[in-house]
Amino acid sequence: MNRRGFLQLIGATGVALMSSCNRVSSVVGALSSPTELVRFPEKTELMLLTDRPPQLETPIHYFRQDLTPNEAFFVRWHLEGIPISVDLRTFRLNVGGHVRQPLQLSVDELQSQFEPISIIAVNQCSGNSRSFFEPRVPGGQWKHGAVGNAKWTGVPVKSILDRAQLKSGAVDVSFNGLDVPPLPSVSDFVKALSIDHARDGDVMIAYAMNDQSLPMVNGFPLRLVVPGWYGTYWVKALSNITVLPQAFSNFWTDKAYRIPNAPNGTESPKDLAKDTVPINRFNVRSIFVRPDPDEILRPGMPTEIEGIAFDSGYGIRRVEVSTDGGANWTDARLDPEIGKYSWRRWRASWIPRNRGQYRLMARATNAVGETQSKEQWNRSGFMWNVIQQVDVKVG
Amino acid sequence: MTAKTKGVVFSLGLAALLVSCGRPSNTSKEAGQGIPNARMELMRDSKSDSPVHTIVMPHDEPAFPPGPGRDEFVAACVVCHSPRYITMQPRFSRSTWLSEVNKMKDAYGAHISDEQALRITEYLVSINGKAGTGQGPKGTYGE
Repeated sequence: MNRRGFLQLIGATGVALMSSCNRVSSVVGALSSPTELVRFPEKTELMLLTDRPPQLETPIHYFRQDLTPNEAFFVRWHLEGIPISVDLRTFRLNVGGHVRQPLQLSVDELQSQFEPISIIAVNQCSGNSRSFFEPRVPGGQWKHGAVGNAKWTGVPVKSILDRAQLKSGAVDVSFNGLDVPPLPSVSDFVKALSIDHARDGDVMIAYAMNDQSLPMVNGFPLRLVVPGWYGTYWVKALSNITVLPQAFSNFWTDKAYRIPNAPNGTESPKDLAKDTVPINRFNVRSIFVRPDPDEILRPGMPTEIEGIAFDSGYGIRRVEVSTDGGANWTDARLDPEIGKYSWRRWRASWIPRNRGQYRLMARATNAVGETQSKEQWNRSGFMWNVIQQVDVKVG
Repeated sequence: MTAKTKGVVFSLGLAALLVSCGRPSNTSKEAGQGIPNARMELMRDSKSDSPVHTIVMPHDEPAFPPGPGRDEFVAACVVCHSPRYITMQPRFSRSTWLSEVNKMKDAYGAHISDEQALRITEYLVSINGKAGTGQGPKGTYGE
């Protein structure tokens, strides 16, 4: 069964089947079956990677919208103990450490006492597209849907640190959420940014996503937004900010989420890099959203090719498209920029002349000349940005 | 830690909390003060007046076939995460699965002996392994 047939089947069998609780399915016998769709609380049907803790992927067709709907935004947690109930009467964002005035702020106080900002920004999982690395690497086997673009509204971290009054000599700022480890031996999921980065005015604490409260599994009630940087820094259900007079250190920074200290984080499976650094800002990439891979196109019929492209905030300046497997390239049309941290839509018109197989490719370039990889590998499956190939049939 | 956990319920331990769903209420303090649209719409989005926002997590875990090592696998692995962490992976070599099991033991402190780690590895190879014992990529962290 192809993907479209599967999706139709899901639609025909109804929502109840996909969303029923306590359902036990024998997935072991279906390791190579089509991706299963599930509905989690406050979410629409998403592609199931894992259910506990949840990792849910967005179907590509949602990226035909500039802003990814909250209910369709991808989900990725590390620790089993994710928050499932938050009482806003007692919830506080605690700000402490190397500050003169520690703070305990309610969501209401954040909304009423600080000047809000809104930023449209892409959030992308470090491991988005991991399943395309060869040789395959262990980890969340994402296709291209561990990414989304949303309008985030909240308070710059700078405003909060200013109110807390930094002591001199602040080095890093750590961010902790409400999620808790299942065993005492598992490190709590805490991430940190340099003090200068945290105070850049763009790094913010969002209480709204696309003008609505965040879904619980996307970080209700507060989420750190780190525009242009990978999702691992976007701490969900943010509850504690700690200013540090020394460099931050923990498992999730020292051992996890590291990339080879080499161009585009690439290394060879036969010669793993010894020098690694924490993953940081997005590289340049683009993703096709039209046509569907299993769409049958007709010779002589105009076909719209469409995709999205983004980088870490320099801005996408050019997207080239090939319909012959990379032999010839033509410039795609770029939609107007809707924000420097947003993705940018591109379109190309194509009239396939003959029946047969065609290989579509797209290559994005940003304002500082960074472009996409021809090949790439690293042991963790991070930062995939290989020029995408989509094989379509004209018949 | 008390400040961190006050008023918060976690999904730990497979305990599905069967309580009513409610969206957070947002105070009307900002209304009519020239506040940007975002917060106005935020308030309109509220579906209930309850200040307690609760969800009920679905449990959707695959059943696992019998075989040597299954008991150790269920006891040591499934306590912290869904078995889908296994089923979503491609078929890996024994060395890759062993590396994954050792990562759980050494980096995350899973309560397993070296001997149990080997039995769990054999079980993972039996249900999602690649033929032969060839070298495969070692897992890393945070993926």
